[in-house]
Amino acid sequence: MTDLSPSPGAIIEVRDIHKSYGNLAAVAGVSFSVKKGEVFGILGPNGAGKTTTVEILEGMRPPDSGVAMVDGIDVRSDPRRVKSVIGIQLQSSAFFDKLSLAEILQVFGSLYGKRVNPRAFLEQVDLQDRAKSQYKTLSGGQKQRFSIATALVNDPLVLFLDEPTTGLDPQARHHMWELVQGFKEEGRTILLTTHYMEEAEELCDRVAIMDAGKIIALDQPQSLIDALLGRGFRKEHIERLANLEDVFLDLTGRALREG
Amino acid sequence: MRANPTLALTWAAMKMWFRDRQALFWSLFLPLVIMVIFGLMNFGAFGRVDVGVIDLADNPESQGMLAVLEIVEALDITRESDRASALSALERGERELVLVIPAEFGSSGGPAAREGTGGFPPVTLEVFYNEGQPREYQVGLAVLRQVTDELTFQFTDADRLFLIDATPVESRNLRYVDFLMPGIVAMAIMQMGLFSVAFAFVQLKRQGILRRLLATPVKPVSFLFAQVVTRLTISVLQTGVLVGVAVLFFDVELAGNILSILALALVGGAVFISLGFAVSGWARSEEVAAPIANVIALPMMFLSGVFFPREAMPKILQNVTEYLPLTYLADSMRSVAIDGATLWSQWVGLIGLAVWLAVSFVLAVTLFRWE
Repeated sequence: MTDLSPSPGAIIEVRDIHKSYGNLAAVAGVSFSVKKGEVFGILGPNGAGKTTTVEILEGMRPPDSGVAMVDGIDVRSDPRRVKSVIGIQLQSSAFFDKLSLAEILQVFGSLYGKRVNPRAFLEQVDLQDRAKSQYKTLSGGQKQRFSIATALVNDPLVLFLDEPTTGLDPQARHHMWELVQGFKEEGRTILLTTHYMEEAEELCDRVAIMDAGKIIALDQPQSLIDALLGRGFRKEHIERLANLEDVFLDLTGRALREG
Repeated sequence: MRANPTLALTWAAMKMWFRDRQALFWSLFLPLVIMVIFGLMNFGAFGRVDVGVIDLADNPESQGMLAVLEIVEALDITRESDRASALSALERGERELVLVIPAEFGSSGGPAAREGTGGFPPVTLEVFYNEGQPREYQVGLAVLRQVTDELTFQFTDADRLFLIDATPVESRNLRYVDFLMPGIVAMAIMQMGLFSVAFAFVQLKRQGILRRLLATPVKPVSFLFAQVVTRLTISVLQTGVLVGVAVLFFDVELAGNILSILALALVGGAVFISLGFAVSGWARSEEVAAPIANVIALPMMFLSGVFFPREAMPKILQNVTEYLPLTYLADSMRSVAIDGATLWSQWVGLIGLAVWLAVSFVLAVTLFRWE
């Protein structure tokens, strides 16, 4: 039997969750816990079960079996309460046409029963100049940042970021990383999924690597690397002291490029 | 103070709708344009009868008769120089009637000829008419007969056997625009409910906006409530504007109570909004939603008596189209607007709409999907 008592200091607790779609087991027995203030990464190839795992934690769909708790709230029995203490940035989401960014933030605030000052949230993601713009006029990086601003309106304990830098140029990606590190410094817990290993290494305190609906490794990035080296793995080419991204950023600068 | 999610969503939906030029165009501007164009054309109104006259007699008697004819308001008299040009004008459709006054008019049949003899050969007035305009030529002929009868009485001093005692009664002169207005209002409500809901929801689903909303603790029913309340409000506003324009600019006289019309707008709005939800549940993309909504709306536009009375349809078609939701709405609105009927006298229409509301509500609940 699994132990249902929460680990000390854990804000997310997942015990042996399963979820199938027809014959396909998307999540086949996943357990982990995330400590308060931690940046936790879930990595894995497409179809590994990352998205389903995250959606279960977000209260978007119930697990077939197993227990998932966020801040002590069972996601299956009280998904709405879970949703009220978390903030979600979805990988591909759009927002209402015809409303300005400030108006959308006010609507989102009201969904949590809050009256919010949109400026404060736009400043947190460096969009204070675009308060009157419509979402569809934003650049890719701005869209991702605005999406994060809508996830902050309820001052969430846990922030879910789903591939926050996919499709962004290097400048926008590094800017996003700075934002995420800022949220960590504010004491928020962050659960992020990504396809970029460099991003996971840069941001995550611990990562879980998923494949075929199971977690196949879970540790600090450096420990995973050390373990691999301990198994005798050696790269064929010794790591260069700089890579092409360093060249690109050196030539084009780190300043954000957006209209 | 806590913000109310339902109110905030309703207010946001209202703002979005009024900022959406397409929505404004389809639900307000287009019905207005249709009403203006068709209202100005005034289809079905009785025009004057164009009569061409060739006066071969050209004497005081013929002049006298022409003067009488020119006074008759229903006739538009044009004097023609010769028979050929008059007949070709008739063939071109410029005249409905051509009257030839023969040269012997007045001389053989006039007062001068009546002395001594009791009978004389009647003078024949030749009339050519356009067979394709039965209403016009019949009126024209009737007037001509009456005028010639009058002249006969004058010339023969015969006593009248029958007199007609005509009393003028103030009655409603129904113009096409009077008929059209309630139909256009009903049509506009259908278009707004069906299309704006179907499109909006398919778009919200496809773009992932709905999914993002469901990631917040808002109750889905709050969101649905906001959408429905917004659309119902718009259908009432729409009705007010369209009726207002008809009354102010087309002198449409509203015989019934405007509140009854607005109440019908609410009920009709609810029916078509539900149908819109059903379509949005069924269709996965705007490309699918559009033809489905059109398949529902287009036939009704022509079969529900919006533009012309259903009585003009074959009996079989009338029997079927009687049960369409737009027919119930348009007919009830028309009875209230034109005949001054009360809301409760329209119970048949109201029950019809209630049945449709139940059907479309069940359809919407069965077909609607959040994702």
